[in-house]
Amino acid sequence: MTESFASSLERDLASLIVQTLKLKVDPATIDPTQALFGDGLGLDSIDALELSLAISQTYGYQLKSSDPEIKAIFSSLRALANAIEKNRTK
Amino acid sequence: MHDAPLIGPYNPEDVLAWEADGPRTARQFLSDVSRLADSLPDRPAVLNLLSSRYEFLVGFAAAMLRGQLTLLPQSRAPQTLRRIARDYSESYCLRNQDDPVEGIESVVMRRQGSIAGWPNRIPHIPLDQVAAMAFTSGSTGQPMPNKKTWGALTAVARATGARLQLTTRDRAAVVATVPHQHMFGLEASVMLPIVHGFVMHAGRPLFPADIRDTLADVAGTRILVTTPLHLRACVTAGLRVPPLGLVLSATAPLSRSLAQEAERHFQTAVHEIFGFAEAGSVAERRTTAGNRWRPLDGVRLAQDQAAWTVQADYLPVPVRVPDRITVDADGQFIVHGREVDQINIAGHRVSLGELNQKLLEVEGVQDGIFFLPDEGADLVTRLIACVVAPGKAVEEIQQALRRSIDPVFLPRPLLLVPRLPRNGTGKLPREALLMFARRHAKGLPHET
Repeated sequence: MTESFASSLERDLASLIVQTLKLKVDPATIDPTQALFGDGLGLDSIDALELSLAISQTYGYQLKSSDPEIKAIFSSLRALANAIEKNRTK
Repeated sequence: MHDAPLIGPYNPEDVLAWEADGPRTARQFLSDVSRLADSLPDRPAVLNLLSSRYEFLVGFAAAMLRGQLTLLPQSRAPQTLRRIARDYSESYCLRNQDDPVEGIESVVMRRQGSIAGWPNRIPHIPLDQVAAMAFTSGSTGQPMPNKKTWGALTAVARATGARLQLTTRDRAAVVATVPHQHMFGLEASVMLPIVHGFVMHAGRPLFPADIRDTLADVAGTRILVTTPLHLRACVTAGLRVPPLGLVLSATAPLSRSLAQEAERHFQTAVHEIFGFAEAGSVAERRTTAGNRWRPLDGVRLAQDQAAWTVQADYLPVPVRVPDRITVDADGQFIVHGREVDQINIAGHRVSLGELNQKLLEVEGVQDGIFFLPDEGADLVTRLIACVVAPGKAVEEIQQALRRSIDPVFLPRPLLLVPRLPRNGTGKLPREALLMFARRHAKGLPHET
């Protein structure tokens, strides 16, 4: 049993990821606690770049890889949604 | 001249590199190199996987001083690394503490310590010493080695600097988004600065905000060595950046419209380098000024039967150009595109033959093919694979591929199909594949 979305931001972000990266999955089936990179959704650094652009355009949050929390932020959909919630300007 | 110094005109206290925690002087660099050279094992070849550009350079220089060949794998996929390590018996890998590599003996890079005195003479390396081996993708699935002599690396760096009108007096600073283990990265982000006595930033910024911050770390004439992918990201994000002297792009063709946007965004000239791993950087152009490439000084193009080759004093034999080109009477040329089997995604070149071979090696795969769809509006166009593998799940095949190919080539999507649309001679025409993939992606029944 996968975990369900804890907020509408998590649901919106799942759709944004699937749309931006053209993944062949139903956004509703993404486990918000599952890894985005590596073995989870299997994303790579080009995806991270594409995703960062979509996030800055949608939420006005500029991701930085120098951020000491960056690994944690990208560890799951939930962590990414929490970071967006904290830093969003739109 | 039979040799060339390890570094260009630096005074002992000049900053040679900028690390995450601050500057590294030329004195510190030579001291770090000599200490590491003393501690390396007695082996013929080393896989240098260090992630800091500065530490990579320390490792590269120390290996040269010990007469060791530095191997530059085209991908970090564990299988690729193991295959190269097997082909170069008695090789080892030089890596970061937190980046273990399974199945290959490794030496961990330690934080360097105190600074020794400035040597009486900067070490020199023979021009004919093979300093590095860059691997490219062969159509048979075997990585193809390309020898890089110290003479070739220094000559290309000098010719590139001359073309861009950079001089050792500029005290420029190079910031790069490209990996230093990649041929263009090695030439433009490592060799170009150290031959000219410039500052080399050790970082590898990815996001637009990182690129801005990394540029702000350094002073002087800033040179951004990058790719169309990062330029597009910077232009789209629209963040203000510190003043730049020059942008140098390579690894994939830059469109004139993106070059114009990038020149507006960065308020400086955007130059492009044309090259390939077998020959290194070959030609340059300012993309907004025209589509013709000007060969670097010392590079000649010659026609050899049907194909064009690159010749230079530092290349032991003429090297075939992997693209279709037409050459003017004055030696300038236009590039029309890759030869059919070769594709390039975000600067990673591979032959479709190799990818197909790797796909067919996956357990349970009966038939399958990779192909590149027409370009869309995305930053990067990804490969699609159609695979016949009854009883296998998409995830299982993706997992197996992840172990054997670079992640940028992982198919997106990977479509499981009952059979491939092979024609009467068993071939798979591209048009038929595209139509077939479109129907499958939409979940429509396929034609039989």
